Amino acid sequence: MNKTLLGYVPNESPIYAVHPFVKLFFLLIVSLFPMFVTAPDWNIGLMFVIIIFMWISRVNMKTLKIYVPVAISMGTIIFISYTVLGGTHPEFELLARVWGINFYWERVRDALVVYFRILPMIFTMVFFLSTSRERDIIVAMRSVKVPFVITYVFAMALRSAGMVLEDFQIVRQAEQARGFDPTGKSLPYKIRQYVMYMIPLFALSLRRSEEFTNALVARGYAFTGEFSKVKRADYILTHYSYKYFDYIFIALIGIAFIALLIFRYGFGYFLVEQSWLMRILHGAVS
Amino acid sequence: MSNVIEINDYSWKYVNTRTPAIEGINLTVEEGNFVGIIGPNGAGKTTLAYSIDGLIPGQYNGIKKGTVEVFGTEVEDYAKGELQQLVGVVFSDPEAQFTAMTVEDELVFGMENIGLTLPEIQERLDWVTELTELSHLLMKPPYEISGGQKQRVALAAVLAMRPKILVLDEPTSMLDPVSRGRIFEVLAKLKAEENNTIIVIEHSLENLIPLADQMVLMADGSILLQDETQAFFQQSKLLLDKGLYPPGAMHFFHELKMKNYYQGKYPLTVAEGIDLLREIKGS
Repeated sequence: MNKTLLGYVPNESPIYAVHPFVKLFFLLIVSLFPMFVTAPDWNIGLMFVIIIFMWISRVNMKTLKIYVPVAISMGTIIFISYTVLGGTHPEFELLARVWGINFYWERVRDALVVYFRILPMIFTMVFFLSTSRERDIIVAMRSVKVPFVITYVFAMALRSAGMVLEDFQIVRQAEQARGFDPTGKSLPYKIRQYVMYMIPLFALSLRRSEEFTNALVARGYAFTGEFSKVKRADYILTHYSYKYFDYIFIALIGIAFIALLIFRYGFGYFLVEQSWLMRILHGAVS
Repeated sequence: MSNVIEINDYSWKYVNTRTPAIEGINLTVEEGNFVGIIGPNGAGKTTLAYSIDGLIPGQYNGIKKGTVEVFGTEVEDYAKGELQQLVGVVFSDPEAQFTAMTVEDELVFGMENIGLTLPEIQERLDWVTELTELSHLLMKPPYEISGGQKQRVALAAVLAMRPKILVLDEPTSMLDPVSRGRIFEVLAKLKAEENNTIIVIEHSLENLIPLADQMVLMADGSILLQDETQAFFQQSKLLLDKGLYPPGAMHFFHELKMKNYYQGKYPLTVAEGIDLLREIKGS
């Protein structure tokens, strides 16, 4: 098993044959698809495609369960925002009036459109994070000649986020070892006590920064990389090379995006008005 | 043998502190020497290590007096990054010095910084992973391996830069005895095969003594004792007064001496102690 950013993927997964840049390209381009698609049918279809990719990549599907509460709470917030807090619109089609709140078809429809736009974006991100390691992101960026300093700062940000979380666990365990137990206490109490975590965490972060800087200086690192007066070699990239199928994937993703734009703006496809799902739903609630 | 480090009347006081961390230190280290530095916490050992690598005064604010010369040049006079090619430092907390996402990235980071070419990096990577037995861990994140492995990664990352002087600041303070032994095995190989100048700040005397050519005792920012290892440990009383307990064999013979049962030199290791007892029994 290899640890990825969101879990573990077996060594035998075919995803490792794909160049990291292809995965990053997939994330950046495919997550744009829903922006140009208002018909939920197509966005649901995209979600299914991504699930199939996850299955092919041998991502542990059980881990997806943890996103169910996120999907439900996000859907609830969007639905409430568009309906309960959506205001009064006499020009819209009134479906029902409950406790003085008007539920309009257009607002329900818009909530669903937004929801099914965000979900595939999240699916794309989950697919990327489930199949990528930190190193993949760095390699992907370096392979398209993103300056080393930028990729390194990005890597340090990933690293420091992990370190802060580790430190937080240490501080929390230290507090608990001394009898601190917020179970059953009020929210204001918990918030007040959580501030207590911040002080040692802040002090630890300062110390870590100092140690990290020392480590960088001790390894001869300078952001300019100028002192050696030679081009910086990128050893890690020697492990990665583009295969013929990487080019095919990049081309397919690019063509799909261009086709989407042509069909959307040239022929008026992917609009909510053409959605058979919305037509069925409208028929059911009207 | 020429001197690679010459420290003359050196004092360093961190900003916003009352007393100097180091005061009036004189120390000379010859090329290829293995120097052990011991002393209680707060003695100024880490400050001395940082001073040799140029982290002090480069990264810290404070007042410096005297000189710290490495290969005949004052540390501040080196161009940025140049000194780090000559002096490598391994810190006590290995995790704090990791800068990359995999062990392999960690090992090549320093080599890329000093401008090595890809074949050179590959060659050194093969050498250092074999020396430190890390080949099977190259693809692992450095923060997910065991403490001993972490410290070997930290050591290997510095070794890969092939510094002429290696400074290790309590490299085994967080390790169990087995992992500690493995770090010292690597140092023994380096001493035997590479002729590096090695300075080790360490509390674990059992591992340090067999390798050290020279020992330094620091306390309260000063050097109290500096001598060849054998002569150094004949001053057991001073070491005990400073709260430093010599290894068992040495301590045993010290107790014998205190009770007038023995008058000779202290053995440095258990093996030497056994030989000595055999001699005493035979005579």
